[in-house]
Amino acid sequence: MKKNTNENLKKYWNLVSKNGILFIFLLLCILLSFITPGFLSWPNIINVLRQSSIIGIMAIGTTFVIIGGGFDISVGSLLALTAAMSVGLQHHMHWSLAVLLVLIIGAIFGFFNGFLTAKVHIPAIIATLGTMTIIRGLAYLYTGGYPVYVEAPDFAYIGTGYLGPIPFPIIILIIMVVLWQFILSRTRFGRYASALGGNKEAARLSGVKVDYYHILTFVVGGLMAAMAGIVYASRLLSVTPLAGQGYELDAIASTVIGGTSVSGGEGSVVRTLIGVLLLTIIANVFNLMGIHIYVQYVVKGAIILSAVGFDTYSKYRQ
Amino acid sequence: MKKNNPLLKVIKLRKTFPGVVALNNIDLEINEGEVHALVGENGAGKSTLIKSIVGAYKKDSGEIFFDNQKVDFNSPAQAFQSGISAIYQENSLIPLLTVIQNIFLGAEQFTRLGIIDEKKIYQQYLEITEQLGFELSPHDKVRDLGVAEQKLVEILKALIHKAKFIIMDEPTASLSADEIEHLFRIISELKSNHISILYITHLLGEVFRIADRITILRDGEKIDTVSTKEVDQEKVITMMVGETLKDAYTSKFTGHEKCLETVLKVENLKRKPRVNGISFKACAGEVLGIAGLRGAGKTELSRLIFGADKMESGQIFINEKPVQIQSPLDAVKQGISLVPEDRKKDALILMLELYKNITLPTLNQVLNNGIISPSKEYAIAKQAIEKLDIRTSGVKQITRYLSGGNQQKVAISKWLQTEPKVLIMDEPTQGIDVKAKLEIYNIVRKLAEAGVCIIFISSEVPEVIKVSDRILVLSNGVITDEFHQGVTQEEVMRTILKKSK
Repeated sequence: MKKNTNENLKKYWNLVSKNGILFIFLLLCILLSFITPGFLSWPNIINVLRQSSIIGIMAIGTTFVIIGGGFDISVGSLLALTAAMSVGLQHHMHWSLAVLLVLIIGAIFGFFNGFLTAKVHIPAIIATLGTMTIIRGLAYLYTGGYPVYVEAPDFAYIGTGYLGPIPFPIIILIIMVVLWQFILSRTRFGRYASALGGNKEAARLSGVKVDYYHILTFVVGGLMAAMAGIVYASRLLSVTPLAGQGYELDAIASTVIGGTSVSGGEGSVVRTLIGVLLLTIIANVFNLMGIHIYVQYVVKGAIILSAVGFDTYSKYRQ
Repeated sequence: MKKNNPLLKVIKLRKTFPGVVALNNIDLEINEGEVHALVGENGAGKSTLIKSIVGAYKKDSGEIFFDNQKVDFNSPAQAFQSGISAIYQENSLIPLLTVIQNIFLGAEQFTRLGIIDEKKIYQQYLEITEQLGFELSPHDKVRDLGVAEQKLVEILKALIHKAKFIIMDEPTASLSADEIEHLFRIISELKSNHISILYITHLLGEVFRIADRITILRDGEKIDTVSTKEVDQEKVITMMVGETLKDAYTSKFTGHEKCLETVLKVENLKRKPRVNGISFKACAGEVLGIAGLRGAGKTELSRLIFGADKMESGQIFINEKPVQIQSPLDAVKQGISLVPEDRKKDALILMLELYKNITLPTLNQVLNNGIISPSKEYAIAKQAIEKLDIRTSGVKQITRYLSGGNQQKVAISKWLQTEPKVLIMDEPTQGIDVKAKLEIYNIVRKLAEAGVCIIFISSEVPEVIKVSDRILVLSNGVITDEFHQGVTQEEVMRTILKKSK
């Protein structure tokens, strides 16, 4: 009997740890709609979503990397490089070609990260620390240290345009979330990614090409960082080589707040989006309430620790 | 030798795990300065007994007296403080510290200023090594030492921490002949210093060389404690194996006597040091048992055939055709599957749902134009659950929450979808209860009847005899014997024990 209740307890614990973030998010929204009039108004919702779009797109890649058991802190730098290149390359080609090329470049850097971790066996955090530094350097080299400015209005539409009443970056974000959530839960790649993040050796001994899929998760990380870079450039209309600093940390934070296991194996793109929105809303509300940015850092850190602590401690109990 | 109270006295020690009585009312007495051997087959309860003594396991009932005091250790660390030191097969040293740092870890001497007193420590080190005739370089890092030397360091560490009683769990498992001799000299040296030793082993030759008395365990029961002078090897083997059980385990399934089709053939497979040139054939519908001690190379052999490790040389044939197997994926494509020894580490993704584990090797079967069809996937998982009678709350149960036996069934069932020609099972009944064991045996036989070639690897001889049509004995990485149906457990055990060193 005792064993049974224990098992039930574990199940509930599991349920809460998986969906807790959703409850917290909804609770917070309800609470804020009372405290802050106009919080649930259309303009504010749009505002929150638009603010979330760049980190949100990036965090989709981060989610894949972490589910696959990896880690990638180079994506902030990669955003700067790809954003700058998406603008700079337009001097040599049509903007749409530049966009395509930049996405490929992002994927190549992702491949490089994956290769260093899967084949050279450098721990992911160190490997991407190295590439983070390299890519930041490349961003400086590419721009010469100066901001680059967007000239083509068509390109600017990506970041500043609207589709009906909805800003285009939000459209991109939502399409990407739906697409990658589908890939994660309904395709071979998604399944193998969570299998190898959950237990790499067991996946290998089940006939999964673990290195290939491991690298592929990093490719997604790089690709989505480049896409975030394109949206960034087209939204801000100028890119400095300092762009995207700390974005990788926000992306990782959103992913783990969204309940993706830090050690890999389980996670969801949709929940990562909720993690991103949560962080945006908190920043948003703090700004409305006039709370100083310094305090916001402290609170954000505390939220990350609680979310990850919840995950790791519940694993430890098992 | 003084003959007063025993140094260690265990009275009616009982330890159960869910579904199994691991130790049933064991009595044990060890005298001061005695070398006492603990023998028994795998699963007899040897490890459980020492773990219960040092407090790694909590005993259900029973009493332990050490040095005339009643003790109840909560952890091996506590036992260590009290003078009981256990040396396991895997060493517990810190590789980056030096010999002397390891030996004195937790027993450092300090100067008045609180600084480690290197001189005093070194003095003490010299005294003790001289006394025992050790030669070690005290300032070498432990990671640079050989296995034998590391064992010595552990023994020294025990002595510096004032151990009166040292437990050695298969200490010779990875030692060479010379190193074993050295260890034996040290054991007799310890003995003359009134230190008692409990020596756990499979190898009866060693027992008769160094032990004063022998305690035999079988299936969690103590059979007897005998004086080494009064018995011979044959007698001890009989006690280990048991006369009555012999019949129960020889009840045979009707296996295939003749080979209809050779499915798997391996020729001169090598990967040093554990696989040293292995050749054999296995047929469709046959259960080929592979028996041998732990460390004989069984697991390594299974991993080579499955492509989990790379072979140094050799050739594998499937249906008489040579095949190249470079990875598990290649093996799966050739119709070879492996249920690995360590299901938690190598077979299952514990955090994922049951159905994801079951369909992992056969994801192709549930894809519609590259997209997973949940209904197909659940159907396959349900079928597997029914087929092997996996007890679970449903296909979406997280695998971690299943019992050991049911987890093992999942590890087997995930391969059945691939319709393997060859299914290798490495210690498939390890750590599961008796009922689940019987179920696994039945699954094995049913699969064989359906024409699958099963390689059944186990260090438990009774079960190998029970399920196999043919048995190969592996020892030090080579096949030493082949047995057919009707062989007794005693014959197989005897070969295994005698062939190893």
